[in-house]
Amino acid sequence: MRPICAPALLASLVCFAVAAAAADPTAGAGGDPANGKRVFFADGCFYCHGTTGAGGGIAGPRLAPNPLPLEGVKAKVRTASGRMPVYSPAVLKDAEIADIVAYLQSIPKGKEAKDIPLLSR
Amino acid sequence: MSGRTKQTKDEGNSLDRRGFLKAATLAGTGAVAQTVVGAEVGAAEGSTTQSPARHTVQITSRESEQGTPHHDGTTQTSCGSDFMVDVMRGLGIEYVAAIPGNTFKGLHESVINYGMTSAPALELISCMHEEISVAISHGYAKIAGKPMACMMHSTVGLQHGAMALYNAWADRVPVFAIVGAQLDASKRGGYVDWAHSVFDGPGLVRDFTKWDDTPISLRHFAESATRAHKFSMTPPYGPTVLAVDQELQEDDIKGGETLVIPREPQIAPPRGEDGAVNETARLLVAAENPLIIADRAARTPEGLRLMVALAEELQAAVVDIYGRMNFPWRHPLNQTRRQALLVSNADVILGLELTDFWGVTKAAQGAKRISISAGDLYMKSNYQDFDRFTPVEIAIAADAEATLPALIEAVRKLISPRRRTALKARGAQLAKDHQEALEQSRAAAAVGWDLQPITTARLCAEIYEQIRNEDWALCNGTIFQNNWPQQLWTANHHYQYIGDAGAYGLGYLPGASVGAALAHRKHGRLAVAIGGDGDLMFTPGALWTAAHHRIPLLYVVHNNRAYHQEVMFVQMMAAKRQRGITRAHIGNTITDPNVDFAKLAASMGVYAEGPITDPKDLGPALQRAVAVVKRGEPALVDVISQGR
Repeated sequence: MRPICAPALLASLVCFAVAAAAADPTAGAGGDPANGKRVFFADGCFYCHGTTGAGGGIAGPRLAPNPLPLEGVKAKVRTASGRMPVYSPAVLKDAEIADIVAYLQSIPKGKEAKDIPLLSR
Repeated sequence: MSGRTKQTKDEGNSLDRRGFLKAATLAGTGAVAQTVVGAEVGAAEGSTTQSPARHTVQITSRESEQGTPHHDGTTQTSCGSDFMVDVMRGLGIEYVAAIPGNTFKGLHESVINYGMTSAPALELISCMHEEISVAISHGYAKIAGKPMACMMHSTVGLQHGAMALYNAWADRVPVFAIVGAQLDASKRGGYVDWAHSVFDGPGLVRDFTKWDDTPISLRHFAESATRAHKFSMTPPYGPTVLAVDQELQEDDIKGGETLVIPREPQIAPPRGEDGAVNETARLLVAAENPLIIADRAARTPEGLRLMVALAEELQAAVVDIYGRMNFPWRHPLNQTRRQALLVSNADVILGLELTDFWGVTKAAQGAKRISISAGDLYMKSNYQDFDRFTPVEIAIAADAEATLPALIEAVRKLISPRRRTALKARGAQLAKDHQEALEQSRAAAAVGWDLQPITTARLCAEIYEQIRNEDWALCNGTIFQNNWPQQLWTANHHYQYIGDAGAYGLGYLPGASVGAALAHRKHGRLAVAIGGDGDLMFTPGALWTAAHHRIPLLYVVHNNRAYHQEVMFVQMMAAKRQRGITRAHIGNTITDPNVDFAKLAASMGVYAEGPITDPKDLGPALQRAVAVVKRGEPALVDVISQGR
């Protein structure tokens, strides 16, 4: 039950999150968002990244809204470092990654912090 | 500490001590008379002969050869365990947590019929598990700044409490543990007594306690108790164990035995050597990007004040590893959220009581590292909680808090007016960075604000909304809630945060938060704990203790219905072996059936709400629970939450 707090991992995750926020969310996945959601839950992505990719801090960076484009996500999945497992095509097919990205792209942005009174304390 | 020490030394307990010694003298007379009576009874039961060695030899039946349970059927006018109670309260101990065990039944009786009925009171806190007894003591000490006692049964009791003692050891927290012992084999009864007897009980936990002893006289007990207390309160703090013989507790005080409660000295923590401190100051003042990293640096409120003084003198960035309340969460120099960047850019890193110096600074690019830590004074090796070896330029084996005054003074002397101007500019930039980091945290907290399961950011923001105008104190580490309290709340007082378990042993928080809340109670603070569902399932009986003793505590269950972190590790294994990852939840989730924590708490007399699934319902539920806590009772709110 050691905490996940290695600085290198944090740096990696921060970069990932920043890149996710800056990427073009429409850069095509062409996948099936309904199946993507199913895979996202069935494969347990939500444990670390949250049920809608909102992120789990040091356990898993934010994935949505504004997810990385498909190739970026695929690169992360295939060559992950730190605590993120590497998923080979035998475990997670390219088409399933595309579906996951489509699911993440379908997630609306939600409220801004400035519109939430509890976040101005 | 100093207040209690004075009380022990001066008039505070001297009357009690004199009173006790007077009673002991009278009791001694009674004890002699009782011995005579006992001999007469023995003579009446069987034939006796007088041996040359001037003691009675009795040759009788098989029953008398085998002996009988200890001291049944007699009355006493004194007992060793009353003296033990006086020793403990002389050490400033106010509470003793315990689940009953016959190897300390003498002490148990003394606590409830003597300790709790005379001043200064020594109150027994009833527990449901030895792990809870120790965890209560652990949490209490981090707020009270001194240990309370916990009593455990021989063998099985200490075995139950062992993991919690390891937590306290790794968290550098004083715990005054007593374990019963039946040393005289001829006094043991049936098989249970034998199963509950051990030659060297404390040996079980010797690798992760500072000191232990098995006193064989009351005077020995008094000296060893005082020594144990002194060791536990000398940085690095840690738990100690006394194995206390059953007969020593239960027997009359022998006539003629002079009983003295030793004075405990005022403890001076080890302070850094002057030359090393001055060199540290020189490096810090000359550095362009100095970084102060603190883990368990601020042992006391004074430690927090000193941390702020050092950082402000240097206008240096501070990263808090959250082992304690080391730095105000909204102080402009608090740069914890920028840890990775600052470590990478630092030219000098000062690590204060870091547990994992290597881990938190391994990204540094050629920075000079300086360590001030009482951890270097640890002399144990079997359990490896000292973490990976880190090469440092200066290793000061001393208590960081005790060393800070000299370091601050040395820094102050070295800063020229010109240098001070440059440092001021650095501080202004850091303040700006702090504000930007806060805005980033708020933006991140907004993501998924209305989600179900509820995000941990929303959970923490909703809690803060209900307590922010109260004198609140958080009793849990926050790593499993993504440190959202530190990111979103304002905290300026040392008691508002106490860190985590130390060794990440599950089952810590229920007991520790009750112990911390016990210490907060007399100050009227609103104690709050946010804890995982898995952790609570280890030691839910702590809730009963809170209800039974009317200990006000808001316990919020961060219920992600899993031993969450482990899922990822199993996923990693499954992915590596290419066997599919859809089964990784097996053995990790806590579902089918879901645990109803509100019902669990209510069954033990705790006000409870939940499971809360809709974020809109969370604020009102917390508001009602806070109202209960403000009335002086515990309350629990079960919140179905995201993993982190």
